[in-house]
Amino acid sequence: MAKVKVATVWLESCAGCHMSFLDVDEFIIDLSKLVEFRRSPITDIKGFDDVTVGIVEGSVGNEEEKEVIEELRHHCKILMALGDCACFGGVCAMRNTLDKEAVLKRAYIDTPSTYKGKIPVAPGVPELLDKVYPANQIVKVDCYVPGCPPEPEAIKYGLTELLAGRIPVVPSNIMRFD
Amino acid sequence: MSEITLTINGKQCKGTQGDTVLEVCLANGIEVPTLCHYKGLLDIAACRMCLVEVEKERKPVPACAYPARDGIVVTTNSEKIEKYRRLVLELLFTERNHLCAYCVASGDCELQSLAYRYQMDNARYQYAWPNQTTDSSHPNIVMDHNRCILCGRCIRTCDEITGAHVLDFGKRGWKTNVCADINQPLGESSCISCGGCFQACPTGAIFSKISAYRGKPSECTSVESTCAICGIGCDIHGLVKNNRVVRIDSPDMTKPRGLLCEIGRFEPLYEAADRITTPLKRNNKGQLVNCSYEEAFEAIAKKFGTSDGIAGLASGKASTEALKAFADLMEKLGSKLVDTLDGDDCRTITQGIAKFDGKSGLDIEAKLEDILAADSIVVIGAYPTKTHPVIASYVMRAAAKNKANLVVIDPLRNPFTFRASVWLKPPEGKKEIIIGALGKSIVDHLPAKTATASNKYAATFKDIDVKKAGKDLGIDVHDIVKAGEVLAGSKNGVIIYGSGILQYKDAELVATILNLAALIGDKPRVISLKRYGNSRGAWDLGLVNAKGSVAADLAKCKASSLYTLLADDLTNSQELADSMKGVEFAVVQASYRSPVTEKADVVLPSLLWTESKGNYTSIDGISKKTVPMVKANAAIKADADTLKEVAKYLKK
Repeated sequence: MAKVKVATVWLESCAGCHMSFLDVDEFIIDLSKLVEFRRSPITDIKGFDDVTVGIVEGSVGNEEEKEVIEELRHHCKILMALGDCACFGGVCAMRNTLDKEAVLKRAYIDTPSTYKGKIPVAPGVPELLDKVYPANQIVKVDCYVPGCPPEPEAIKYGLTELLAGRIPVVPSNIMRFD
Repeated sequence: MSEITLTINGKQCKGTQGDTVLEVCLANGIEVPTLCHYKGLLDIAACRMCLVEVEKERKPVPACAYPARDGIVVTTNSEKIEKYRRLVLELLFTERNHLCAYCVASGDCELQSLAYRYQMDNARYQYAWPNQTTDSSHPNIVMDHNRCILCGRCIRTCDEITGAHVLDFGKRGWKTNVCADINQPLGESSCISCGGCFQACPTGAIFSKISAYRGKPSECTSVESTCAICGIGCDIHGLVKNNRVVRIDSPDMTKPRGLLCEIGRFEPLYEAADRITTPLKRNNKGQLVNCSYEEAFEAIAKKFGTSDGIAGLASGKASTEALKAFADLMEKLGSKLVDTLDGDDCRTITQGIAKFDGKSGLDIEAKLEDILAADSIVVIGAYPTKTHPVIASYVMRAAAKNKANLVVIDPLRNPFTFRASVWLKPPEGKKEIIIGALGKSIVDHLPAKTATASNKYAATFKDIDVKKAGKDLGIDVHDIVKAGEVLAGSKNGVIIYGSGILQYKDAELVATILNLAALIGDKPRVISLKRYGNSRGAWDLGLVNAKGSVAADLAKCKASSLYTLLADDLTNSQELADSMKGVEFAVVQASYRSPVTEKADVVLPSLLWTESKGNYTSIDGISKKTVPMVKANAAIKADADTLKEVAKYLKK
């Protein structure tokens, strides 16, 4: 049987969800026999192939992230949101109570450790979106594994269900938001 | 009340006419998820989690507000209803900024656990991300509006249980928020800091600063005990982690003595002063140095053996067991100079009662629950908001909920005055004129039937001229007349008095108050606010000196030695230390360093009430037990044991 192609991306978040992914212990060995990672934050490959499962960690907070998630959606059959940031906005969305300008000013100018700071403007620096969005407010998301980070058990459950051809809904006993 | 039968999920369920559907469900063991419902509070159907289907109803109805009727058919668990509940949860999560990852309540949050239950792994709605504030102006309580679901449990607790009604909804519609007073910061509001709001909060919107992040209930052991601080004897539920009290809750706020106050909820969480952990002895350089229990006992036995007059002082903060051991020790020493630190108060009260009916018994006093049942309440010379806040809450509740007439006699504005039917403002000083005038005014208004029955008590006020009294006091006579009119009709009035009366040490005044109480009820119901948690217990043990205060003139008493059982009492310690000047040899048994222990020759450590097992008698005579919540330093003996050991050493 051909291996299932998977691509994972790391958007606006702390990488904790990918860490938790690695925390599934020996399951990763079984998993590697069944799936092939076509893209992940570790490989640093920028482009996308067509894959069956796309996994997104992190919320969408700037133009680049928006482009990446749209690209991923375009190339995958099933998109899974991994972690609180991708599912709900998470800690990144704390900035949403303020407007973009206030956030930039606070980060680049007002911080006590900053001397003569200025807000970076350069062609290479992606523009912040007005708000930070959970994945499902930008693209269609098929399944969710919340948690900050998600329990390895929950990640394992999500992937096992997907490999069995079902859309997973994390059961109450292993679902966590913190 | 007739019995009704309804069908819930195909099962025949019995209920009582007047029950809500939710009440019938809960009584029949059918679980319905709720957020804004809280035991003992009026239901307001704010959260919509308890939606159920009722046959012939056009749309789902909230079970908590839907009256159960005979024969209706209710479904609580259909797929449609479960879908609606998940929708409600998504709306609640998207309405404010619920970020579990850094919330103090995560793991102990009713909203979160419902989201888990309904497997809410995403929200289909746009988030509102409102710019909400966090109010941390209060020393003990934080209000984070980001996490508020507007269930109103804090508001209803503040109103219906605490009686303070500081919190309420402010603004309207989308902008609705919980606010204190007229939208003031909580720290500047009239909040009485009872903590009922954060106990009732289903999320992390209101929480206690000192308990935050110190341990979730699931990580703590819980201990059911009694608060021994002020003598009301409230039940407490202590959460303990790593041998520290993390949080104190009420086991059930709706029960009598289940309500807590600022003192009970927060005081045990802080260390009050320098703790004494070993016995101390004064060395030949005059310094207090650590010593063993044996050395301390020997020093005491040696001095007490040769001493001619030994006085004993006990604080009403000690447990009944400790006080009993203290009484035994004093008896063994043959000392007649035994008293409690608040002996003056107890003497005034009991002598007043003796003057009133010849029997000197504190049992004549009313129970605290009488306040809630009272149709009128007089507060005079008492400051329960400071000393016994739970009594203050009872008064507020009686006035607001039961429409009891409240007459406040106090020159200064206090939290009661705005709820008072009549507020009499006599100038500072002894209250006999105003009490007399009020008594006369009541007598004047008594209905003819009661008037004859109350003749005996009315006689006390016979010769008083209300007009003259009003003139002398500089207050409007009409106010006194109105107060008399309001009170004259009552059948179970209660009078609450405290330090403002007792400070004059005038038994006559207390007797007059009892006479006044007899006029406004079928029997005199008075509650005197005693100073300590076990003042009443000390009186019951006969520790209160019948003749007069021992502490006030130790010098005159010709006592060369003194044994003071202070426990964790820190009140008036400078005063007491000053009165110890003439004493040659002083033993102090205390938990904390204070001016009193600095005067001592031998100091024995004492346990806190949170560390020991003991009985405490409430101000209205109910005996309550404390259970140790935390383990004390192993080197400290229990108070009663220490006293018994001292007694043993004396034999040698």
